[in-house]
Amino acid sequence: MPHIEELSPDAGPLSTRPLEDEIDDDEDEDLDETMMERLWGLTEMFPDTVRTAAEVSAQCSVSLAKQFYSFSRTALWVGTTSFMILVLPVVFETERLQLEQQQLQQQRQILLGPNTGMSGGMPGMMPPVLGKM
Amino acid sequence: MGSVLAASSPNPLPPASGGVAAAPGLTAPPGFGMPPVSSVIPPDGAASEQEAENSLSNPGAFDECHRKCKEVFPMQMEGVRLVVNKGLSNHFQVNHTVLLSTTGDSTYRFGSTYVGTKQMGPGEFFPVMVGDMDNSGSLNAQIIHQVASRIRSKLAFQTQLNKFVNWQGDAEIKGEDYTATITLGNPDVLVGSGILIAHYLQSITPALALGGELVYHSRPGEEGSVMSLVGRYTGSNYIATLTVGSAGAHASYYHRANEQLQLGVELEASSRMQDTSVSFGYQLDVPKANLLFKGSLDSNWVVGATLEKKLLPLPLSLVLCTFLNHRKNKFQCGFGVTIG
Repeated sequence: MPHIEELSPDAGPLSTRPLEDEIDDDEDEDLDETMMERLWGLTEMFPDTVRTAAEVSAQCSVSLAKQFYSFSRTALWVGTTSFMILVLPVVFETERLQLEQQQLQQQRQILLGPNTGMSGGMPGMMPPVLGKM
Repeated sequence: MGSVLAASSPNPLPPASGGVAAAPGLTAPPGFGMPPVSSVIPPDGAASEQEAENSLSNPGAFDECHRKCKEVFPMQMEGVRLVVNKGLSNHFQVNHTVLLSTTGDSTYRFGSTYVGTKQMGPGEFFPVMVGDMDNSGSLNAQIIHQVASRIRSKLAFQTQLNKFVNWQGDAEIKGEDYTATITLGNPDVLVGSGILIAHYLQSITPALALGGELVYHSRPGEEGSVMSLVGRYTGSNYIATLTVGSAGAHASYYHRANEQLQLGVELEASSRMQDTSVSFGYQLDVPKANLLFKGSLDSNWVVGATLEKKLLPLPLSLVLCTFLNHRKNKFQCGFGVTIG
């Protein structure tokens, strides 16, 4: 650490140059080590309670985030497999049944005319074949 | 053919189903169940409507109390199963079952059902003899006969390889508004051991039935008895049953939501194993799609479902079953085809 007298403005520029070199050398040597320590040192300006509160809340939030992540993984897996087992086959079968019924209904409409369909088509679009015979 | 099919259960003595609700103190050997002859008994509701309004109807068999709720739950199956049912005559039916299993041995079972000529009611014929033999020679046999107008008796035998594992006989008296059953299990005069089970179920009101069960077992040097009480309440579209005994409690609730959906909730608490479990099951019946779907959800983190589909132009029925245990991360699936 440079002496106080040498830092005073009375000292000439020549006399401070070796000190600057020393300071620069010191800084160059310590730069790798002291960067994090310097940043960490900045936190020392806060009072202890603030520091411990920040530390505790940071740790809590990290562990909470980890727990939430693993919980959501498990929940997603359990939910998806249970849905697959309990609900999916029924959905497939009822969809298939609906499609079959729709297909039958369409066939019936094409075959017998639009008015025999349950929902009813537009009248007069397809005149019944019987009339022509 | 109709009488044979009506009198016999679809799977006489299936290995995995415990038809007889094992009395809380009695461990029925695995795989032994009495055939659900209930399919043959006319529903009590119909009988009660026909009788005078101030008389009570017969409450049904004791073992049937929890049956309605249990039937909603899917049956666990694993491996591939092929069943061929063939009716040889009006009275005789034969079935072949091939079971290919991933965890145990693959087996072939041959079973036959004979239904006699004495008719007790619509579709009820006695005696009924059901027998089933394994490829290793293990035999399950039951003979059910209506001995007198109100007394029905049953004899059942089960062997494992060449030893008799279970032999029991019982007599059931169906009175006007009560049912009493007495069962003698594995009586051994030479050793001096045996199990005696007495059931009694009484209709208090047309909706409420109360009953009790007493199990007495004795072996040389040791004897004990277990008693339990049963209450069953039948509502318009639900049945609630409670069994409380020294070996634990069992409560079940069955609800019929609409003609397609049936629900069941079951709570079992065992004092011996100090654990309780809750299961929720549902059954979805879509006859238009020839589909029967059963699903269940358990407090032991077990999820299971069974899908049964009739492939209709042919007399084929396909069963797919999956069970997943989330806690132990074990999965089991099986499928079966039933012909005839």
